Amino acid sequence: MAKHGARISLIDLAKSYGNVVALHPTNLVIEPGEFFSIIGPSGSGKTTLLGAIAGFTPPSGGRIEVDGIDIAGLPPYHRNIGMVFQNYALFPHLSVFDNVAFPLKLRKLPRAVIAERVGAMLATVRLTQLAGRRPSQLSGGQQQRVALARAAVYAPRMLLMDEPLGALDKNLREEMQSEIKLFHRKISSTVLYVTHDQDEATAMSDRIAIMNGGRVAQCGAPRDLYEHPCSAFVASFLGGANLFKVTGIENRGSGAVSCRTAQDHVFDAVDPSSGSRSHTSYVLRVPAEVIEIAPAGGEVTAKEMNRAQGTVVDAIYTAGTFRYQVEIGPAEPVSVRRPATHRATMLAPGQKVAVWWPASSTLLIPET
Amino acid sequence: MGAELRFPLRYRIGGLALALLVTLILAYLILPQFIILPLSFSDRSYLSFPPTGWSTEWYRKIAENPSWGEATANSLIIGIPAAFLSMIFGTLAALSIGRGSWRSAGLMSAVVVAPIMLPHVILAIGLYPIMIRLNFLGTHLAAITGHTVIGIPLVFITVKAVLAGQNGSLELAAMTLGANPWQTFWRVTFPMIRIGVILGGILAFASSFDELMLSLFLTGAGTRTLPKLIWEQLNEFLTPTIAAVATLIFAFTLVLLAIASGLRGLGSRYQVKSHG
Repeated sequence: MAKHGARISLIDLAKSYGNVVALHPTNLVIEPGEFFSIIGPSGSGKTTLLGAIAGFTPPSGGRIEVDGIDIAGLPPYHRNIGMVFQNYALFPHLSVFDNVAFPLKLRKLPRAVIAERVGAMLATVRLTQLAGRRPSQLSGGQQQRVALARAAVYAPRMLLMDEPLGALDKNLREEMQSEIKLFHRKISSTVLYVTHDQDEATAMSDRIAIMNGGRVAQCGAPRDLYEHPCSAFVASFLGGANLFKVTGIENRGSGAVSCRTAQDHVFDAVDPSSGSRSHTSYVLRVPAEVIEIAPAGGEVTAKEMNRAQGTVVDAIYTAGTFRYQVEIGPAEPVSVRRPATHRATMLAPGQKVAVWWPASSTLLIPET
Repeated sequence: MGAELRFPLRYRIGGLALALLVTLILAYLILPQFIILPLSFSDRSYLSFPPTGWSTEWYRKIAENPSWGEATANSLIIGIPAAFLSMIFGTLAALSIGRGSWRSAGLMSAVVVAPIMLPHVILAIGLYPIMIRLNFLGTHLAAITGHTVIGIPLVFITVKAVLAGQNGSLELAAMTLGANPWQTFWRVTFPMIRIGVILGGILAFASSFDELMLSLFLTGAGTRTLPKLIWEQLNEFLTPTIAAVATLIFAFTLVLLAIASGLRGLGSRYQVKSHG
């Protein structure tokens, strides 16, 4: 199949219910063929956004353009958008074949064409053998693949997926993630994927929009978001990072700052705004994996390092990684993640330790 | 063969007592209905139990008296359209309340169900002057109207129960796949609730077939239903003919029940598990 994904532009798209704003005017452009995820906590507006694009939720204002044509006023059945639901929404009274043939029959295609296209699609999702089964006779992963096939069989230029892996257990989720990625490459539609799972979005997406309180907090490639979060919310939602509340900032020139934390530590950091700070409160953000740890006295001293003394309060081993919680001040725990190489010994709770990390990995970001 | 695991005696006595109790309750529920069977074959000219002899005279009497046939025809002429109208309006009400986002859905449900909770005599007295006004009194239409009012709640309840077990996103899915509301109803919603609609229709028909109070008020000499004829016969002469008619109605109702329970079994095939 040739590239045929649509470009989706949301222009000042907004939704309110009476006085309650579910979605503030939002602008987003999703490029043709892109795998674009929307993540955010519940109530952040991601379901409203999806509902508006699918046609279930009439927007209060703005436009939804598919390749330049506004579809905001069209009912769902005239939008030609494929959608995969969290609970799959397979028709229980129809066989796998008839579920997938459903959209083609509505489009009044000749019987032979329907059989051919359904057959090809079932082969793509490896369900040819199960064409005659009812959905209730399939496993969760199989039902999910039927839902994918049904949403894509009429080659819609855009596929919406609403937490499609939400009902599956962890191993199956990971398997289905690659399955969906592979499927996306084959059908080459634009995919808009909604999830609350940041790891899932990070693993699958070309770009991600993180939503909070009815707005897009930040939009970008997964690695960009992780390395350059624009706010404490984005950093904490993506996880894996330490945030220290800042009480005082001193400029040291060329984007470098020296910050005093709420617990009276002084850490050197990078200020991405290069001194033009307009927010009222700031935090320092340090990824857990850049922090080094050693028993007290055993630290390596180097320039441009932030360092602190503390006590291990928790030590966990998970899949090749040591995860420590180190208290470097009253109620100021630091998460540290170190690879568990064969020579490394695990530190024990209660042990006095030193932690240090490069100032260049310490980012000054607004709290909100 | 290994020794079978057996429960201690006191548990087995408890189980036995429970089985006995259940049998008694079932007998209490069912046996009175079967008393009419021997009564209808009695050789006496009045209702007596236990019967002293055996005859089919009373069944012959039914066949000889054309008014029983007419009353049966009237019951069907009234019951079948009333069941159909109930299926249509009851289903519409269930869809609206079950799928819509009404703030007062609870109150609306109560209003729809009210006719079977309230005494029929209230409905009958209320409909009587209206039917006179419309000049419908004594026509089939009057009884059909009345019986539809008590049939709608039955369909409403069965359809709403089926709807509640089903996922609303199926209809949304159908729409994203290109089905307009009409196609969505006929291709997705209706196949799933069909069992409930038919079951409700059977119940509505059975309740119309059995209904006396409304028929007393709303039917005339030409539109007399079976229950009304039984009622009139009871007032005049209490012969085993009544028992014979009742037996026939009983057999007919059993057939309806069998169909209904068969449908119920069919319906359970459509339950989807969304996980696993």
